[in-house]
Amino acid sequence: MRALGRVALYVVLALAALTFIYPFLWMASTTFKSLSEIGTLSLIPDRPTLDNYRTMWARAPFGRALLNSALVATTITLSVLVSGSITAYAMARLNYRGRAVLNAVTMAVLLIPGQLTLIPLYTLIVQLGWVDTYAALIVPYLFNATAILMLRQFFLQIPQSLVDSARMDGMSELRILFTIFWPLAKPVLATVAIFTFMGSWNEVLWPLLVVREQQLMTLPQLLTVFALGGGAGTIGVSMASAMVLVVPVVLAYAFLQRYFIESMAGSGVKG
Amino acid sequence: MATVTFEHVSKRFGDTRVVVDLDLEVADGELLVLVGGSGSGKSTILRMLAGLETVTSGTIRIGGREVTALPPRERDVAMVFQDYALYPHMTVRENLSLGLRLKNVPRPEIEKRVAWAAGILGMEPLLERKPKQLSGGQRQRVAMGRAMVREPLVFLFDEPLSNLDAGLRAQMRIEIGALQRRLKTTTVYVTHDQVEAMTLGDRIVVLADGRIQQVGHPIELYRAPANRFVAGFIGTPPMNFLEGSLTSANDRVAFVAEGVRVELPPARVQESGAGPVTLGVRPEDIVLDLSASRTAAGDALSGLVVLVERLGGTSHVHFDVGRHRLLASLSGDSLPEVGASVVARVRGASVHLFGSDGRALLP
Repeated sequence: MRALGRVALYVVLALAALTFIYPFLWMASTTFKSLSEIGTLSLIPDRPTLDNYRTMWARAPFGRALLNSALVATTITLSVLVSGSITAYAMARLNYRGRAVLNAVTMAVLLIPGQLTLIPLYTLIVQLGWVDTYAALIVPYLFNATAILMLRQFFLQIPQSLVDSARMDGMSELRILFTIFWPLAKPVLATVAIFTFMGSWNEVLWPLLVVREQQLMTLPQLLTVFALGGGAGTIGVSMASAMVLVVPVVLAYAFLQRYFIESMAGSGVKG
Repeated sequence: MATVTFEHVSKRFGDTRVVVDLDLEVADGELLVLVGGSGSGKSTILRMLAGLETVTSGTIRIGGREVTALPPRERDVAMVFQDYALYPHMTVRENLSLGLRLKNVPRPEIEKRVAWAAGILGMEPLLERKPKQLSGGQRQRVAMGRAMVREPLVFLFDEPLSNLDAGLRAQMRIEIGALQRRLKTTTVYVTHDQVEAMTLGDRIVVLADGRIQQVGHPIELYRAPANRFVAGFIGTPPMNFLEGSLTSANDRVAFVAEGVRVELPPARVQESGAGPVTLGVRPEDIVLDLSASRTAAGDALSGLVVLVERLGGTSHVHFDVGRHRLLASLSGDSLPEVGASVVARVRGASVHLFGSDGRALLP
């Protein structure tokens, strides 16, 4: 009876897993299918072809968009890690007037939905003359309140005696942050990095607002314009462009997964 | 080599006075122990000396140089922390050498000093390990080594042994004492453990509520506590206290309380006066007469045994006299049973007397 229950459980779990993975696998296989095969539900193409990718590459500057996205997402991620750590360190470990206010304000920023600041921010970018520049894509995202609070929370758990000890060893506060705190904070840094990178990589709305020139478009933006605008023509080409979008994120996740899981597990234990 | 001087040093956290008008001098090469309960201000004093805590008012000097406003790195002091505070991602060697590298000490000199400290502390085989691969005692040694290689003017120890188990604590206590005598570096050592204070300190400072209660050699504090707090704090098991008053007749002064009468040596009573007093008797100064047939006569107390703790060499006998519970510390194997009647005699020459303000009345 117990064995039967177990089998039933695995069947249900396998079905659930399949529902998640099938559409993705279908998308991946569709990119290698010829036009005649695309309507089928099978996952293995009869005559695999790279035509969809060739068409996509020829019709729009996806290579350039890939570079744009990489530049924007990497710059933002690095900045969020560095600026977020410095701010979080100050909030967690330094004593100064107004620290409580700074904490409260940072927290308050989280409560404001992004859509609310979209129009004011857009107006600001126009006033600055930054429309159709990398600055418009990058500068508004250089600082991130969620990252600051996640890092602060982690930094608060590092024993004060370690900071004291480093100060007595003669370290400056920045040095303590980068030579003592950073190595200890790898899991949370990896988590922040993945969230930030994915958030930036997948962002569509903001680039659509501030960038019109095709050469400056990010990958999801170009994809949206391309696929929704009818440039793709066939589903196969649409799916091929979606693959180009998703593969770097999957790679980044695979690369940082070890720290990421560690951080998720750690946050459960430490509470 | 340096003296350390605190002049009228005070510390407040908001409205709370943590350290009040501290005047203290630590002699060159001395091991001074700051001891007190939690909230006594002992750790704050140490942290102010280290530069990790600001001073509200007053002056701190190390080797004659004022350091009150200097950051920790400019004070030439090294500290050993309660939780060791080793950098978890660095090897023992890196932990030991980091402070020197930051001071731009030449590499051969760093290697020489690390080897020297590792040799003294028996850590050579551990140099390439990370802290989490070490036992508690080994981590404690690394923390001490890290302080030693800096060759500071002053060592600071902040309850360094309280995370170790009892056996290891006793061993490390001996090692710290031996190390300090060997290096002859001025040392300030904070602990809440009076056994540590008694065994390690050249002098002991007993603190309560941010104020010095008494400064002196360990035996001085034990034999002549300045007040009731010190009397109760120093010595294990702690001193017995009895509330009562003094009576005098025919030039003889006696302490009396319910069911208790203790004759005091006339020469020792200076201020008798009326009013309530507290008699203090160390457990080892009570002699128990175990022959049950005796009844109390003269200045003997009759009591009822309520608990016997056999510790092997010595044993603790708790007994009630009137409404007072007393503790006697006995050596030998002949011990009373629980519920037995005993007659206790107090060695009058060794008692302590405290006024209602807690100050000692006997010299």
